[in-house]
Amino acid sequence: MATHQAAAAPPRQVGTGALARLDRLGLLLVALAAGGLASLPFLTFKANRIAAGAGKTLADTLGTAVAAAFLAVLALVAAVALLDRRPRVRLAAALLGVGAMALAVGFGAGWLTPPGDRFARVAPGGGAWLLLLALALLATDALARLGLSPLLRMAALAGAAAVTVLAFRSGLFDQLSVMREYASRADVFGREARQHLLLAGGSVAAAILIGAPLGALCALSPRIRGAVLPVLNVVQTIPSIALFGLLMGPLAWLGRTQPWAAELGIRGIGAAPALLALTLYALLPVAANTALGLGRVPATAVDAAAGMGMTRRQILARIEIPLALPVILAGVRVVLVQNIGLATIAALIGGGGLGTFVFQGVGQTAIDLVLLGAAPTVAMAFVAAVLLDAVVDALGRRPA
Amino acid sequence: MIELENLTKRYGDVDVVSDVSMQIQPGSFTVVVGQSGSGKSTLLRMVNRLVEPTAGRVLIDGRDVASLPGPTLRRGIGYAIQGHGLFPHRTVAQNIATVPTLLGWPKAKIRARVAELLEALQLDPGQFAAKYPDELSGGEQQRVGVARALAAGPNILLMDEPFGALDPIIRVKAQDDVKAIQRRFETTILLVTHDMEEAFHLGDAIAVMSGGKLQQYGSPEDLLLRPANDYVSRLIGSSDRALRALSLKTARDAAESGDTDGLFPIAPDANLRDALAELIWRGADAAAVSGEAGTPPRRLSLRRILALGRGA
Ligand SMILES: Nc1ncnc2c1ncn2[C@@H]1O[C@H](COP(=O)(O)OP(=O)(O)O)[C@@H](O)[C@H]1O
Ligand SMILES: [Mg+2]
Repeated sequence: MATHQAAAAPPRQVGTGALARLDRLGLLLVALAAGGLASLPFLTFKANRIAAGAGKTLADTLGTAVAAAFLAVLALVAAVALLDRRPRVRLAAALLGVGAMALAVGFGAGWLTPPGDRFARVAPGGGAWLLLLALALLATDALARLGLSPLLRMAALAGAAAVTVLAFRSGLFDQLSVMREYASRADVFGREARQHLLLAGGSVAAAILIGAPLGALCALSPRIRGAVLPVLNVVQTIPSIALFGLLMGPLAWLGRTQPWAAELGIRGIGAAPALLALTLYALLPVAANTALGLGRVPATAVDAAAGMGMTRRQILARIEIPLALPVILAGVRVVLVQNIGLATIAALIGGGGLGTFVFQGVGQTAIDLVLLGAAPTVAMAFVAAVLLDAVVDALGRRPA
Repeated sequence: MIELENLTKRYGDVDVVSDVSMQIQPGSFTVVVGQSGSGKSTLLRMVNRLVEPTAGRVLIDGRDVASLPGPTLRRGIGYAIQGHGLFPHRTVAQNIATVPTLLGWPKAKIRARVAELLEALQLDPGQFAAKYPDELSGGEQQRVGVARALAAGPNILLMDEPFGALDPIIRVKAQDDVKAIQRRFETTILLVTHDMEEAFHLGDAIAVMSGGKLQQYGSPEDLLLRPANDYVSRLIGSSDRALRALSLKTARDAAESGDTDGLFPIAPDANLRDALAELIWRGADAAAVSGEAGTPPRRLSLRRILALGRGA
């Protein structure tokens, strides 16, 4: 909207007119990236893991010639961000910027590290992070405006994931401190990442199995609804650590006194209380959205279905669930993203997951280790969000 | 034949349908008319057991409907409702195929039947079969609703205010279409409406409901000429009773032999109310009603129409 008004500004005001023709978001992003690169280090160098870090500018990192070339590429991206409103061009520019930046960071880290030095730590500095943020926002905005079909969005996600994996596999980033932390924990990392997915996915699956029927009951009867939803609401408001704590006592007791529980691995600490707490957190959005979605199914459609001789079960399976599915899945999306994040906390009570690295890193004040846990978590949440959004969209639209 | 025997439905301590008995003739178009809340829908829904009666029973061709499982019974009876109730996530063809699919018809037979019904309701199958309900106009949605109700070729069609959501101009056309379909498939239709005009336009027999009770059940002429009580005569309205009576007779019935030279023509099927309007509009005293197959045209005069109207 604002950009359109700006574009339509009368050409008489020459001085402000030129400025007004610039894309507002582009202006903001360019300011963000340029300010970051000018005032903050591009990479930071530490002689060892716990030594104080020294900031390195672009020129320090890449040498003047390469730095100039990199800046020239960034200037091109900035020009597009400021002047070109075609989403395709903006997306291409953002991707170009990300690619150039990946190379600059990867090679820069390699050049900063003295050959053979296995203790030195190089990490992206504030300037690099701000640049990445600006480029990501530019790409996101362009993607949103492109309005890709759900299928194309999933394909784009798969492509981006493949390129990212290849980039990491290629060894481009091996000199970065995060990857050094990874290298020394590669086996554990795979296990914790799987455990993380299991905690998040398992709790969401359990929440669907319990929450969806609960939501259906809520849709049937206002009385049940009045009893169930407020309770789940209260559960949602308990801080996660407190909820883990609350569950530890009863589960520990179960594990001690009931042989079957012990056999299932139920103890006061570990994966069981984490899974249970995550499931409880996920119940409200799933149940509430199921109730909402079913409540929105047109009463006339249900009446017609019954009047034509569908059984209660057929009405549920063929009419009500398909019509409520987009709303239910919107709840599942919220919960999946939420639990991928929350699963980090499971590490606090011995539940494993990527939080293990985060809390180890916090304990050792090793920020790179924190990043090794946090970055994949964010990536997982992002992928889950994009995938489920695409599915919800695909259900909402129909093959015309 | 559908027989309602002492049907009663009680919610709490209110009889929303109270001791209703009536017989519906096969092949007839029977309309239940009454104000909102008079129990019409409840009565209709007891026929296909969407509502179970508190007392009394319903017989179809002598068989108590309670002897069949509800869904099985309902698959054999057409059902169309106000606001069409089409399934928004299914195409027109899938919507129409609902009951045949439930009955397990072979695919080819279903496809042929869907095409046949779309054509019967003047919807081009090539154009409409793959559309979704929200891509149709109100009138088209209503017709698809009727096609869906007729899909498995039921002998009986129950309709609950099926034209309620249509604007007046489309409504008359939709009513005529349903009437034509009823004749073509010889379906017994039981239709519920709060619109007296509609009742007279469609019904071979009309049942007037009020407060859950059946006030009168008879032919349109019966209701007009011999209202059973004050309620019925008030509902029918006194001011335009003469006009209503005229609208029940056709030009064919009223025409007399006589000179038709220079008179404007009027269709034999036109009702006398329309004929009267036409005469007034043209400032003519008489019109020519064309004769059937070779017989000469006959004369319909203003005087004759007025005489018939007075008789009402
Ligand atoms: N399931 C029900 N529970 C309680 N009351 C009902 C129920 N269904 C209908 N009623 C009441 O019965 C009366 C008749 O309803 P209905 O048959 O729908 O009337 P109509 O179709 O003539 O408008 C209304 O007062 C309505 O509120
Ligand atoms: Mg009704």
